[in-house]
Amino acid sequence: MIQVEHLTKDYQRVKRREGFLGGVRTLISPQYETTRAVDDISFRIEEGELVGYIGPNGAGKSTSIKMLCGILVPTSGKIEVNGLVPHKERMVNARQIGAVFGQKTQLWWDVPVIESLRLFRDIYNVPEAQFKRNLNLFNDLLDLHEFQNTPVRQLSLGQRMRADMAAALLHNPRILFLDEPMIGVDVVAKERLRVFIKEINRDQKVTALFTTHDMVDIEKLCSRVMIIDHGRVVYDGSLDQMRTQYGKDRTLVVEFEENIPDFVPPHAALVKSEGRKKWFIFNRFETSPSTLIAYISSQFPIVDLAVEEPEIEKIVRTIYQGNTGETEGKHA
Amino acid sequence: MKIFWAFTRQAFHGSTVYRFEFWMRLFFVYMLMYSIYWVWTTLYTQTPGAFGVSLEQMVTYGILGMALEIFLDVGPEWYITTQVRTGAIDTDLMKPLDFHLHMLARSAGEMMFSLGVLALPSFAIGYYLFDLRLPGDMTTSLLFAVSLIFSFFVFFHISFLLGALTVITLDIRSISWAYYSLVSFFSGQIVPLWLFPDLLRKISEVLPFQAIYYIPMSIYIKTLSGGAALQALGVQVFWAIVLVLFSRWAWSRVHARLTIQGG
Repeated sequence: MIQVEHLTKDYQRVKRREGFLGGVRTLISPQYETTRAVDDISFRIEEGELVGYIGPNGAGKSTSIKMLCGILVPTSGKIEVNGLVPHKERMVNARQIGAVFGQKTQLWWDVPVIESLRLFRDIYNVPEAQFKRNLNLFNDLLDLHEFQNTPVRQLSLGQRMRADMAAALLHNPRILFLDEPMIGVDVVAKERLRVFIKEINRDQKVTALFTTHDMVDIEKLCSRVMIIDHGRVVYDGSLDQMRTQYGKDRTLVVEFEENIPDFVPPHAALVKSEGRKKWFIFNRFETSPSTLIAYISSQFPIVDLAVEEPEIEKIVRTIYQGNTGETEGKHA
Repeated sequence: MKIFWAFTRQAFHGSTVYRFEFWMRLFFVYMLMYSIYWVWTTLYTQTPGAFGVSLEQMVTYGILGMALEIFLDVGPEWYITTQVRTGAIDTDLMKPLDFHLHMLARSAGEMMFSLGVLALPSFAIGYYLFDLRLPGDMTTSLLFAVSLIFSFFVFFHISFLLGALTVITLDIRSISWAYYSLVSFFSGQIVPLWLFPDLLRKISEVLPFQAIYYIPMSIYIKTLSGGAALQALGVQVFWAIVLVLFSRWAWSRVHARLTIQGG
């Protein structure tokens, strides 16, 4: 569905000089500086996949999404979106994709939501029957009717995002780009959007590329994760695989019968001690939880215990940090 | 065509929100019409016959200039500037629309709205309070209506070009201000071109601005009629074509810059 090969994007920015004369000189003979936002990335996304696209701020996520939408022209490399080259066939491509940008709205600020959707219907030539069917769907899943007569500028952020989501899907796009659609949305509205995205993906086989900073979104929605940092893909694979590959550490939480002095079992480390509870961290390839538990229980009586998997957020942080060390030299 | 109506509907919804602004604008138009009426009446009592047309024609000309300004105040340059500055231009480029036609549809929609809601009331104010004369015959009315369409077309494209320029300069206020001063002068909006000194008249005749106000308004008061009116329409058509081509070329350059260098 989406094919990206050796995609690179350099931004050219005018270097501003200081002071008034500097300003005049900038106008007459501008000096450009180049920054590489996307650096040789390649990936394929198959039809019906829901891919989480994550990375720290400024990693190049938005830039690559803009290239997939045909808004930006790549510096080099190849993109194909459902057989089309986006920047060459921007308008045709626009009909087969939908996009939600969390930071901006596609709707018209001063008009009621339903009027904006009608304008979308006219722009995308959506047949009346399809328009009605989709409105019903949006009413069911997004409760659109609650605020469809409210002008966009009076909507809460969660409502606005729901309206934007409806606008992006009105023309039944095959592919959906979600660029931080959850930004600033409260927990309840977030959950509702998640359910909606999941249903659209499952029932209509809409392929989606989803940018977020909230790892819960990724855990609940995405079967596949791509992590991008400094313009490069640093991880591409399933969530489970990411856990095994990067989440080698487990935490064993033990509650003892009474307060006991700190101690360190073999192949593990004590990370926290609080009252009668102690937290041990261990590498699951060096030792197994059962060995560890056997060892500890032979020393002290245990009341309760639990093995904690590493939080996905922590894993991602490890990947970001590992990558920073590696690539910093190239970009400095 | 459907899109044009859709944008008219949109403009209606957008503008009814700002009722206060609506009344302010009508009041403003009234004040401007009053001052124009008063200036010409005074000038005519002091030097009758010095201006080549009757007082009624001159007052009609001046007041029409004010009513038309309301009708034409729908250029896309402000919208383009805002979109570029806030980065929201992405959402425009996301849509399966040609940007130039999108802006044209938008402006035409707003124009149809402002024609009904602002220009016609202004016209009525002019008619009932300040002696604005009706053209009287079918031919003149028809020529005027056609001329008005091209007036909008020329105005729109100049505004579009200004908007495109902001993609590069990122600021429009100073340019816009200078531009509107120039336009109201060289277009003959307030003072008709035949009263200009020779040199200035020659300059205004080679500029496109006369196509915005001077030509439709002169047709209306019949200082341009018959062959001269048709010739003037020809001038409007010429400018409309030149500006359409130039706008499309300019936007393709600007668009490339926007997409290649990044917003």
